[in-house]
Amino acid sequence: MRWLGLMVVVVLALALAVVLGPAHVSLADLTTSDIVRSLRLPRALLAFLVGGSLALAGAGLQALVRNPLADPSLLGLSGGAGLGAVLAIALHVNSPWALPLAAFAGALGAMALVYRLGLVGGAELDPRILILAGVAVGAFTAAVTTALVSLSDAAELRNAFLWLWGGLSGASWDSVLLLCVYAPLPVAVLLAAARPLDLLALGEEPARHLGADVEAVKRRVYLAASLLTAAAVAVSGVIGFVGLVVPHAMRLLWGHRHRPLLPAAFLGGGALLALSDTVARVAVAPRELPVGIVTALIGVPVFVLLLRRWTAS
Amino acid sequence: MDRELILDVRAVSYRYPETARDALAGVSLVARAGEVHAVLGPNGSGKTTLLRVALGLARPATGSAAILGQPAAAWSRRDLARIVGVVPQREDHLFPQRVRETVLLGRYPYLSVWGAERPEDQAAVDRALARCDVSSLATRWIWTLSGGEYQRVRLARALAQEPKLLVLDEPTASLDVRHEMELFELVRALADQDGLAVVLITHHVNLAARFADRVLLLADGRTAGDGAPADVLTRETVERVFAWPVSIASFDGRPQMIPLRKQEEHS
Amino acid sequence: MRRWAHRTHLAGSLLFAVAACGRESRHAPAPGRISVVDDAGRTVALAQPPTRIVSLSPAVTELLFALGAGDRLVGRTTWCDYPPAARRIPSVGDGLNPNIEAVAARHPDLVVLYRSALNETAAAQLARLGIAAVVVQQDRLEDIARAARLLGHLTGTDRAGASLAAALEQLVASSRMLPPPSPGRPRTRVAFVVWDNPPVVIGAGSYLDELAGLVGAANVFHDIAAASVTVGLETIVSRDPDLLVLLRDSATAEPPGFLRRPEWRAVRAVRQARIVYLSGSLFARPGPRAAEAVAEFRRRLEEAMP
Repeated sequence: MRWLGLMVVVVLALALAVVLGPAHVSLADLTTSDIVRSLRLPRALLAFLVGGSLALAGAGLQALVRNPLADPSLLGLSGGAGLGAVLAIALHVNSPWALPLAAFAGALGAMALVYRLGLVGGAELDPRILILAGVAVGAFTAAVTTALVSLSDAAELRNAFLWLWGGLSGASWDSVLLLCVYAPLPVAVLLAAARPLDLLALGEEPARHLGADVEAVKRRVYLAASLLTAAAVAVSGVIGFVGLVVPHAMRLLWGHRHRPLLPAAFLGGGALLALSDTVARVAVAPRELPVGIVTALIGVPVFVLLLRRWTAS
Repeated sequence: MDRELILDVRAVSYRYPETARDALAGVSLVARAGEVHAVLGPNGSGKTTLLRVALGLARPATGSAAILGQPAAAWSRRDLARIVGVVPQREDHLFPQRVRETVLLGRYPYLSVWGAERPEDQAAVDRALARCDVSSLATRWIWTLSGGEYQRVRLARALAQEPKLLVLDEPTASLDVRHEMELFELVRALADQDGLAVVLITHHVNLAARFADRVLLLADGRTAGDGAPADVLTRETVERVFAWPVSIASFDGRPQMIPLRKQEEHS
Repeated sequence: MRRWAHRTHLAGSLLFAVAACGRESRHAPAPGRISVVDDAGRTVALAQPPTRIVSLSPAVTELLFALGAGDRLVGRTTWCDYPPAARRIPSVGDGLNPNIEAVAARHPDLVVLYRSALNETAAAQLARLGIAAVVVQQDRLEDIARAARLLGHLTGTDRAGASLAAALEQLVASSRMLPPPSPGRPRTRVAFVVWDNPPVVIGAGSYLDELAGLVGAANVFHDIAAASVTVGLETIVSRDPDLLVLLRDSATAEPPGFLRRPEWRAVRAVRQARIVYLSGSLFARPGPRAAEAVAEFRRRLEEAMP
C-alpha cells in the first residue's frame, strides 16, 4: 500500500514537472511542444535522478557513519566541486561541458583526499574520521574558492556562486543520458549493501561475527555514495536537505531495514526534487528560485507532518 | 568415539600494535562438539583477544588457529558465520527493532544478495526463538525487553545461524541470579541436546566450574591451567591468578571459589 | 534621413560641451563654500573646490575628465580604464568594497562613490576621517546627467557640467522621437544574457534596458523591474527574442561555450546564431560616452538583423 502511494507521488511529481512551467503550454500541445520535449521533460527526469541519487547516498552515508545527521554535503565533495568549477571559469575554459566536468573532477579530488585521510593505520576506514575529514576538506576548499572569487577581477567568477547554489537549468537530454549511464553502478552497489548495513548498525565486530565483510562494505558504500553525490553536484550544483531529510522521512514510513528503505529513499528523493524544481520554476514566474531553497521549504513541513503522525501512533 | 573437533587453537601469541607486552603467549584452546569450554581469567588476561585470534579477526604472531581443519584467516566471514555463532559482549542499538527482525539478522550468511528471506529462513528463526524460549516475545520491540530476555534473544540470533560452535563473551555480565542460571542451563542444554560446541568467556568462576566440561584459566596472556574444573581451580592457582586469598569448597563435585576477607586469611 | 541628422546634432552638442569644458578649466576656481546634496541625501560641504579627488567609479572618472577636472584626480579604481590618461593615475583597489586605508593614503579632499549599500558605509567611514565623500546614483543616464551637474558644481566647472548634462538629457529625450514600429519594421526584440547556468538576464532597472529603448529595440524582459534577474530557460525560449546580447570584455573570437550546449539550442536566436557582443567597458555602465554607446549599439543591431 505504501509503495503504491509512493509510486503515485512519483508519477504525479513528474507529470506536474512536465505540464507546469513559466511558459504557457496547453495540454493539447504537450507532445509537440519544443519547450516540453527539449527542456521540461529532460529537466524533470534529471531532477528525479539527482534527487534520488542524493537521497540514496544520504541514507547509505547515515548507515555508514552511524549518525542520523550525516548528509552528502559532509563528504567535502561540494567544496571540491565548487573549487573545480571556479578554476574552470578563472582559466577561461570555454567548452560547453567545462563546468560540470571540472566540478566532477574537483569532487573526485576531494573524495580521494577524504578517503586517504579516513584510512587509519593504512587499511581500515574509520567512518568518524571520514566525516571529520569531509568537513575539513569541504571547509578548506570553500575558503580557497571564496578567496579566488573575491581576489579576482572577473565578474564571471562571482556568477559561479549562482551555479553553486544549485539548479537544474543545465538540464538536457545529454545530461540525462549521461546520468542514466553513470548512476546504475553506484546505485546497484548501494542497494546491494542493504543487509550488511543493517548488520553494521550493531557495531563493526558484531557485524563481522554475523558474516558481513565490514571493510569491503564500508569501502563500497563510501565510494558509491561519493560517486553519486559527485555526479549530482557536477550536474546541478549543491542541493542540500534532500540527502539528510528524505531518508528520515522514509524511515518514518518504512522503518530502518535498508532493503525497503534504500529504494524508497531513491524514489522519495526523486519525487521531492522534481516537485521542488517545478515550484522553483513556477512560484515567482517569470523569475526562478534556487531549487535548494524550495527543497527546504517543501521538505520541512512534510517531515514535520510525518513526525507528528509517527509520535501519535 | 571422539567428539568432532570444531575449533583448534594451538600455542598462539599475539601482541597489539605499539604495546610493550604480548597480549597472548603460547595459549591453546580446543572446542569439541557437545562440550562446554569455559575461558576464565582476571580483567586484561587476554580472553577477548583469544576469541579474536581464534575467529581469524587477528593474526597470531606464532601458533595457529583452525576451524573445522581450515585456518581461521582463510575462512570468508560469510562462510564462517554459518559455522560459528557469536554473542558479543557489547552491541550498539542504532535503531529500534522487533525481536523477530533481530533474530532474522542471523540468517544473513544464508541469504543471497538480492533474494528475499525464504521459508527455511523463517523456520530457522522459529526454531531458534523456541529453543531460547522467547517465541512469545517475537513481536516485541527490543527496548522493551528485560536484561535476561534480551540476552536470550541475542543467543537466538546466534542459533539462527545454525552454527556448530557457539561463542559467548561475558553473556551474564549484568544479569541477576535467575537469568544467569537460566542462561547457563540453556547453554548446557545446547551442548548436551543439540551437540553444539560451546566456548564461554565469563567472569563467573563458580558457575563456569558447575556447568563447563573444561576450563581454560588465563593470566597475563598465559595459560594458568587447562582441563577439568577440579584440576584447574585449585587454591594455589586461583590465589595466584586472581591475586586474592580464596578458599575452595566443593559443591556437586565441582570446585567453588570463596574469596576471603582480610581477617579470615589468618584463621 | 531624419535619424542621421539627429545623430550629428547629438555629436555636435557633445563636442561643444567638451570644448566648453576645455576653456573652463583654465580659470581659477571661484572662492567660497560649496555645498551639494548627494544622491544618498547627504549634504556635503567644501570650503573650496577640491584639488585632490579620488574616484571610486569608472563613470565618475570619465565624467571628471570630460569636465576637464581630470588633472585633479589622485586615485581611481582598477576598472577605471577610460580615457587612457586615467590609467596613469594610481589605483586604490577595485572599489567594490572600498579600501578606506588605500583611499585615505592618497590624502584626498573629495572622494566620489557610486551608490550601493557597501559604499554608503564607506562614505560614512570617510566622513568620520574628515574626508568629504559624495555618493552618486549610477543606474541610468538621467543619473549621469545629474552627476555631471553635481560634479561640475563641486569642481567649479558648472558650465561644462550643465552642457554635458543637457547633452545626455537630450539623448534620453531623443528616444521618444524615434519612428514608431510598423508591420514592415517591427521593433527588434532582444534579451541581455549575463550568465547561463542559471540563466540571468537584464530587466527594466538597468542601463542596458535603457539603451535598448534608446535604439528602438525592445528588451523582452522589460516587464521585470529588477536590474538583473534569474529566469528559466523556457521563459527565454517562449519570449523568443530576435537576438541575444552578451557583454564581454576580451576581444576573443570564440563565442562562449554555453551557446553550444544542447538545452540552449531551444532558443531561436541561438540556433540562428544571432548574437551581439558588446564591450563591458562601454556598455556595462552609463557614462558620458552614452551617445557613442547608442550609436555603436544601433549599428551592431542593424548588422545582426539585416
